[in-house]
Amino acid sequence: MGASVSKMMGKIFGTKEMRILMLGLDAAGKTTILYKLKLSNQDVTTIPTVGFNVESVTYKNVKFNVWDVGGQDKIRPLWRHYYSGTQGLIFVVDSSDTARLEEARSELHKIINDREMKDALLLVFANKQDIAGHLSPEEITQQLQLTKLKDKLWYVAPSVATDGTGIFEGLAWLSNNVKTQTAK
Amino acid sequence: MSSTLPYRPSNDSLSTSNPKNNGLPRLSPAASFIARSPSHSHGSFRRKSSDYPAGQKMRRCKSQYPLDSPERHVEYILVASFHIDRGPIMEHQYPAAISGDESMLAELMLPDQTHVRSQDWTIFFLHKDTSADDDEDDEDGTKKKKKKKRKKSKADDSDGLDGSLHNESNTASEEDSSDDEEGGEGPPLMYVLNLVNTKQDNTVRRGAVVKAMAICTRHSFLHIYKPLLLLALEDYFKSPYPETLASLYDAVNNMDLSLMPRMSILERHILQSSNTKDMFIEKFEQMVRQREEEEAEDIEGPPSPRKTSRYVLPRDTHEFESKVVYNDIPIPVKIPTVIWPETVGDFSLVKLIQTFAGPHAAAPQGFPNHPHLTTSGPFTHPIIVLVNAILTQKRVIFLGHNRPSGEVAEAVLAACAIASGGILRGFTRHAFPYTDLTKIDDLLKVPGFIAGVTNPTFANHPEWWDVLCDLPTGRMKISSHIEPAPVTEGLLFFQQQNATTPIHTSTSQTDPTGDHLFMEDILRSISQRHGENAVRAKWRSYIVKFTRVAAAFEEAVYGASNLYIIGPGEELSPDSPTGHQADPLDPTSLRGHGYVWPDETSKQRELSASVSRIEGWRNTRSYYSYIQDIAAMYYPARPIQRPDIHHHHDRLRSLKLSHADSGAIYLALAHAVKDYAGICQLLTVTPENQAGLFYISMGLFHPDQVVREATVDLLDRISSHPAGRHFWTHLTRFAKLGYFRVKRERESAQSPITAAPGGSIGVTNAGTSFSVEPQSLVGVALGDNIKRKS
Repeated sequence: MGASVSKMMGKIFGTKEMRILMLGLDAAGKTTILYKLKLSNQDVTTIPTVGFNVESVTYKNVKFNVWDVGGQDKIRPLWRHYYSGTQGLIFVVDSSDTARLEEARSELHKIINDREMKDALLLVFANKQDIAGHLSPEEITQQLQLTKLKDKLWYVAPSVATDGTGIFEGLAWLSNNVKTQTAK
Repeated sequence: MSSTLPYRPSNDSLSTSNPKNNGLPRLSPAASFIARSPSHSHGSFRRKSSDYPAGQKMRRCKSQYPLDSPERHVEYILVASFHIDRGPIMEHQYPAAISGDESMLAELMLPDQTHVRSQDWTIFFLHKDTSADDDEDDEDGTKKKKKKKRKKSKADDSDGLDGSLHNESNTASEEDSSDDEEGGEGPPLMYVLNLVNTKQDNTVRRGAVVKAMAICTRHSFLHIYKPLLLLALEDYFKSPYPETLASLYDAVNNMDLSLMPRMSILERHILQSSNTKDMFIEKFEQMVRQREEEEAEDIEGPPSPRKTSRYVLPRDTHEFESKVVYNDIPIPVKIPTVIWPETVGDFSLVKLIQTFAGPHAAAPQGFPNHPHLTTSGPFTHPIIVLVNAILTQKRVIFLGHNRPSGEVAEAVLAACAIASGGILRGFTRHAFPYTDLTKIDDLLKVPGFIAGVTNPTFANHPEWWDVLCDLPTGRMKISSHIEPAPVTEGLLFFQQQNATTPIHTSTSQTDPTGDHLFMEDILRSISQRHGENAVRAKWRSYIVKFTRVAAAFEEAVYGASNLYIIGPGEELSPDSPTGHQADPLDPTSLRGHGYVWPDETSKQRELSASVSRIEGWRNTRSYYSYIQDIAAMYYPARPIQRPDIHHHHDRLRSLKLSHADSGAIYLALAHAVKDYAGICQLLTVTPENQAGLFYISMGLFHPDQVVREATVDLLDRISSHPAGRHFWTHLTRFAKLGYFRVKRERESAQSPITAAPGGSIGVTNAGTSFSVEPQSLVGVALGDNIKRKS
């Protein structure tokens, strides 16, 4: 009953729900981004994620249910179980970890080539822009070979998760594009 | 007609699962246990009955966990940690590497989201078999030798670990070998209790250390080790070496439970359904006395009186108190004396019921219709839906997002126990108290499971489950992907049978299954704080009733039931009107068996309401195990094969009988119930929470003097029985006055005239039939049974 009322309110006032899955290699900054979204003006210290975290964040009339799944290589095969029903993928890259960019590329392509992810929006956070030796968003785009992608809405946002820079800009892109998507 | 409807002979399924039974395919666990010690196990029962007519136990009382048992309390200690680069890894294992997939174990030990809480408990089960022991074990030569020796002893036993353990302990537990409830289902489960701690530590990379320590044991009371794990894991953070594991291992294995008496299945029934704190205290006293005698022999000195104080008797015989000395700290532990199959750890049925009953009472949500599950329509109580789902072997998931994994594990264990009632089994064997996404592929291979998870992504995969129980909201969901209930022959035949009789549709009847009333009663019990024990006892009788209704259904539809072995001289109901005495000289030949309904209409009503779930149950693992158990437990659980005590006591309780009918029952009971085990059996059908001996005592007011006196004799025997005396004291004053009046009458009448001849003839009759026939009865029952099934 309560749920259906809020659904109706959602229809009237235009709030939408969006299921977001956030993936990336271990120590890329996923959990920091999640909690920066949730608790925007607090310092966040994180420890390695065992399994997953999930939080809801409402931004610009869109309620994002963001799933953040641990990134150690051994547990990456589990990512696929989170695909079904996902409307947006946030892929987080440590821009300073150039040695593992190739690994990140192959993981990313594995994800978006999955049938269940074919309609999902792709937002890449080029994270850790504050660390010396980082690559720019353009370089990240190239390294991840995003230009090769066809029929895919994607965007690369530079970010510094620890101080929140760039995070909400990325979310804004998602909320703008999910509107056009659901409208069709 | 009935020949076109085959029984569901369990032959094929059983013989594949247990190849070693020979020629007795249907009775596989029973067969193996009979083969092991046929004369002994029955003989001991008989001996008991002839030796202790007064109900006094003189025989040596055996220990449940003897000192010299090769079985250890705890078999392995494991430590795992979450490696920041590699994920979960196993750090140490003691005394040897447990076989199996190490990374799988490490994953289980580090539950999802353990990083958001500082401490979490989980429970999981390992299906450990022999091949497991073949694993590499090269660092310690002596260990290897020991293993080899064990190997050799089990070489001739195809059943592996299970068999070897039982072989070794056979001498100690011969009588109760019937009690190994796991029989026929492979080796006993290894239960794992696991504690995981997350410690924030700024000196390490990424700021935290996550470590888990687990105890692997074959005892289902694994919760007693909780305080020890807390201490040991703390120590391990300080000194992360195998020595820490070793000291815990030695401490727990030095726990002394040897003064805990072993109880027969009937004694366990009585103890569990009773709240009397000193029920069977005699057995504990005897254990102490035996120990003191042994010690006196060893010392060869005069027994000093102060020695008695060394061993204390339990304050409550439901628990056995002992201690574990870890690092010089004595930690008290309480071990449950009565352990039922499918009862693992410390869970709360009350909590489980309240979790789902609350939201249902506040705002009931209709379920989509499924004949196996929604047995009382769309608003069937969720707990009934849950029990139906488990009985009909559905895939059940408990989801506790943001809850400690220990909480979902507890819910799973409670669900197993609620559907088992201590009667049915096979649920824990297919339960996964805590599991996660890494195991999903294996999980989905299991047909029908009960699993606990914390990851809400399971809710997004209705193809993975049939029933989803969400713990935080207390809501249950039936999956949109659930398989529809198949139309079975039994169902069709039942409908055909009843097509002629105008059967009211279930809508006209508000509660044909009686489940609404039952749940109301349960909830009333909970709100009146009757306690966990009372609630478990009620569920137990619910499951007992379910099996008895199912037996009546099978008899009605298939002509005979797999779920009930009819006693000697008894026939199937159509030819044998209940209450008819087959042999006019033998009061115990009173016929009738099974569940008692007040009239035929209510029987039909209840059967037609239950037909779907009974048919759904008839193909499940728990159904087949139950058939095996009935055969295996026939003698231990039913020293009195005729008459059907439960049936006739039910008739006294729920029917309005004529004086002649009730008199026949009282006479039959008085003549059949004579020895220790027989009285135990009677007491199991007269639990305290169901009026105790009240209906028996009504025989004291019967118009026929012979009946009154027979009842007095019966009550005399019961009141001198170690358990029966408690039941006697619970009788009302009114009944006791009646007892003394009949006694007085007899005394005054006895001086001139001799005792009523009918009574004495009956006594000798029953006595002889008991002492001479038992061996042939074995053959009759088994043979009859095989004929019937094959």
